[in-house]
Amino acid sequence: MISLHQKDDLRDLRPRFQATVIFVALAFLALAGRLCQLQVLEADHYDRRAERNFMDKVDVEAPRGRIYDVNGHPLATNRSSYTLYITGWARFELDPDGGVVSTPEGKRRPMGDTTRDTILSLIDFIDEADRDKFLALLEELRADEARGRYAQIARRNLSWEEYARIESRLEVLDPWVEIRESSRRFYPEGVLTAFVTGQMGNVSARTLDGSPHLGYRLGDRVGQTGIERQWENYLRGRLGERWRVVDARRREVADPPAWAVDSLPPARDPIPGQDIYLTLDLDLQTVAYEAVSDKLAGAVVAMDVNTGRVLATASVPSVDPNRYEQPIPSAEWKAWSESPLKPFIDKTVQEHFFPGSTYKVVSALVALGDPEFDPDEEIECEGYVKFGKRKFRDTHVHGPMNLEQALVHSCNAYFYELAIRNTLSLERVEPVARALGLGDRTGLGINGEVKGTIPTEEFEAREGTYQGGVRLNSAIGQGNVKATVMQVAVLYAAVANGGYVLTPYLVDRIETNDEKLVFSSEAQRRNETPVLDASDRARIHAGLVGVVNSEDGTAYSQRLDNIVVAGKTGTAQVGREYRNDTEVEIDGWDETQDHAWFAAYAPADDPQIVVVALVVHGGTGADAAAPIVMRVIEHYLGDTSSETELRPRGYGVPPPLPGQQDETLARVGKEGTP
Amino acid sequence: MNPLLDDPRSLGARLRHSIDWVVVTLTAAIVTLAVINLNSAGAGDWSGRVATQLRWIGLGSVAMFIVTAIDHRTVYRLAYAAYGFGVTLLLLVPFFGIRVNNAQRWLGYKDYRIQPSELMKVLIVIALARFLHDAAAKDLSNLRRLVVPFVMVLMPAALIIRQPDLGTGIMLLLVSFSLVVAAGLRVRVILAVLSAAVVSVAIGWSYMENYQRRRIDVWLDPELYADTDGYQTIQAMISVGNGGFFGRGLSQGSQNALGFLPEPYTDFPFAVYSEEWGFVGTAMVLVLFMSLTLWAVNLASQAHDRFGSLLCMGVAALFFWHAVVNIAMVLQLVPVSGITLPFFSAGGSNVLTMMLGLGLLMSVSRSRHTR
Repeated sequence: MISLHQKDDLRDLRPRFQATVIFVALAFLALAGRLCQLQVLEADHYDRRAERNFMDKVDVEAPRGRIYDVNGHPLATNRSSYTLYITGWARFELDPDGGVVSTPEGKRRPMGDTTRDTILSLIDFIDEADRDKFLALLEELRADEARGRYAQIARRNLSWEEYARIESRLEVLDPWVEIRESSRRFYPEGVLTAFVTGQMGNVSARTLDGSPHLGYRLGDRVGQTGIERQWENYLRGRLGERWRVVDARRREVADPPAWAVDSLPPARDPIPGQDIYLTLDLDLQTVAYEAVSDKLAGAVVAMDVNTGRVLATASVPSVDPNRYEQPIPSAEWKAWSESPLKPFIDKTVQEHFFPGSTYKVVSALVALGDPEFDPDEEIECEGYVKFGKRKFRDTHVHGPMNLEQALVHSCNAYFYELAIRNTLSLERVEPVARALGLGDRTGLGINGEVKGTIPTEEFEAREGTYQGGVRLNSAIGQGNVKATVMQVAVLYAAVANGGYVLTPYLVDRIETNDEKLVFSSEAQRRNETPVLDASDRARIHAGLVGVVNSEDGTAYSQRLDNIVVAGKTGTAQVGREYRNDTEVEIDGWDETQDHAWFAAYAPADDPQIVVVALVVHGGTGADAAAPIVMRVIEHYLGDTSSETELRPRGYGVPPPLPGQQDETLARVGKEGTP
Repeated sequence: MNPLLDDPRSLGARLRHSIDWVVVTLTAAIVTLAVINLNSAGAGDWSGRVATQLRWIGLGSVAMFIVTAIDHRTVYRLAYAAYGFGVTLLLLVPFFGIRVNNAQRWLGYKDYRIQPSELMKVLIVIALARFLHDAAAKDLSNLRRLVVPFVMVLMPAALIIRQPDLGTGIMLLLVSFSLVVAAGLRVRVILAVLSAAVVSVAIGWSYMENYQRRRIDVWLDPELYADTDGYQTIQAMISVGNGGFFGRGLSQGSQNALGFLPEPYTDFPFAVYSEEWGFVGTAMVLVLFMSLTLWAVNLASQAHDRFGSLLCMGVAALFFWHAVVNIAMVLQLVPVSGITLPFFSAGGSNVLTMMLGLGLLMSVSRSRHTR
């Protein structure tokens, strides 16, 4: 054994020791240099990056503006709800013990099959299609790493059961699933105001991709129809933001340290949407809706004759807008879309019909404009008129008729005769009809109005329907004459107010959340001078009064005791145009039946309100449509005949202060009368 | 005759001469910072990992003083036996080892387990020191003489790398090579070995596992892999930078407190430390580790014999490479590999190994004063 007691000669190692010292010192110096770079020179950079790690911006949704009727009854409000967010790719998972399992290199991983199946099992799907749609979204998020790493709205309006079920399983579902508080739209009146408020729906991919400047986010709700759609930009408000401290799993830290909170940027409050006050009177709307709702399909509009304020508008059938806040079973959806009753169509503006005899007002006005026409001349009605080889029939043999009587009796033969004489040629009728607002959109603004048609000879030629007899049919609102309920209301309002064609409107005013006026409507006339000559108006008015009040009048049976109503029935024949080929059989639905119309204004001596009702395939105007109109008029004017104070307040008039007499009402109402 | 037991001088004088207070002070300072930091990494939890670490530090300290008391000539006698014991343990690992996360590195039962590869680091130092002591008279430039130490190192290294534990294997090679270099390996041979290493890395590149190759890719540009493999590296850098000059304060580093920093107990405790103590603190730790290393080199130069001298150099290499590689890894100067920072990283076997090394250092230190 080599002795260690003797001191070895270590001199040969000395250079190595020295080299080692230098090497060690240099190595540590290099580390110190690097530390100096990171911690002193670039400290600010890493400071910011560390902040970016734990700062998380959360969008704060702005409460959507509410919609009220003229008296402040809510028609659309917001309710709190729970929304399910799903993340497809997570960086961290929770293990069953509650600890964080990070992947070896902090790699993201997609949601597993068991997690997906657990989520699916916790939700109450209404049908297979609903489940498939949800599953498709999950699979999309699982497949797309870029999109999948952010929480996406997967389902809105969780029921309490769903919420409780998911919440109790959050431990297992953790990085994938999050429930956030949100809000849903609520329509207190539901189906009653369905077409007025409209409904909400998810923002379309086209809007998201095509108009990024609008600032919608995937899964946002936007107005789809009605006021919700038309005034979306006023209602939606502006998104706010707040910042929160999150940990590596991007979960909010429950009790964040003060230094972290201090470094967060300031929050920005959302700007709430603006509240819309409609001209609609909920009481009148209720009466109107109830009057028409026992029909299978129909529509009714009530409008102020002097301003164009729409007081009530209803179309049946319709879908409760609240339904759109939940998934809709595909079977039900299919039934709606295929129904011949067209529940998606607002029949006041979105569909046009033959106006039938209600159009005779136009014909009469055209005739009165002809200097050669003598309104007092009596034309013998034999129950039919022969023109060429065709026989144009009337409903009865009316005997000798002058213009007024022809309106009262709704005599077709009289107008056929005028058409044959060319007093009512298409060329002469068309400009007058257009001047009265037909053949063009009324400008109500909601629900995609149709124009209707007023035929000219070119039009007929284009359509291939021109023949000599077409002007006869046109003269009584058949042939190719088409009008919407709203157009007819505007037409009769013009007769009532002495010749002013009004633009109907539904929005009275818009206020911000803190009650500052943003927008206020004013009555809009399309023409500055009356389109009617006063004497012409008087003749037609007399006829219309006769329709309801003369014993021969077509709507005499429907007259009201205390209010003099002027109106016109219409029974538009549809028989040949419609084929009854729908597979769905609906009790009482006969597509060969005539459309029933009634258009009226009241009171006759000082018209305030115009009401038009249409019952699709409802039979005769007097029997089917007139009662609806009369109920609305009776409700609106019924009380006012005895007590003026109860008349509706004029637009823009503030309610009286406590103790102050509400005397302005009647006065303002009258001032609007031309 | 044991001077610690038989020295006729006063107790104070004996303590002063028998215990190397420089080593003790430096170690105490490092251990204190390490334990405080481990507590921070665990969000202020004194039980669990910190308690375990403290138990191992206690056990390691006892082992250190026992080794101090042993004359390093006894260590010389037992060198090959100890080496044989270490290799035996390593051979047992593939058969009886405990498997954690696809790696089989531990021997023992349940929570009582050790990592033979860690112990091997200090055992190889002892064995190599003896071999190089014996070979001192002969010329190390004769490459045939290097076959034996080559095999002596390669066998355990291969066993360790197969576990797999590349980091520890490389550490074994590094320490051994450093020792041979310190023992006087010719500069020409050193350069030859280094170039051979470069060539073999180049050749080995194609044989490397994908994950190993990827680690190098990540090291070269971590931002490219910021959301995947580069996450760890980047978050560590952010932690270090976020510390700034004076640090964020204990438990106040957002990166660690909010969980952005992965592996704060094992591979990246220095990142936690950097964030909380700032440049002032990191410079302090660098100085502490450098002082310990340089003091070991100083002891080596003062040793009476080649064996003692090389023991000190081996322990110096052990501390130097662990500290430098781990910190360089945190600072993104080298690719991420599982090399621990002595005492800062949670791990019993590592603490024990380092304490044994310090014991050897003090043993040699004590022998300086005996004639």
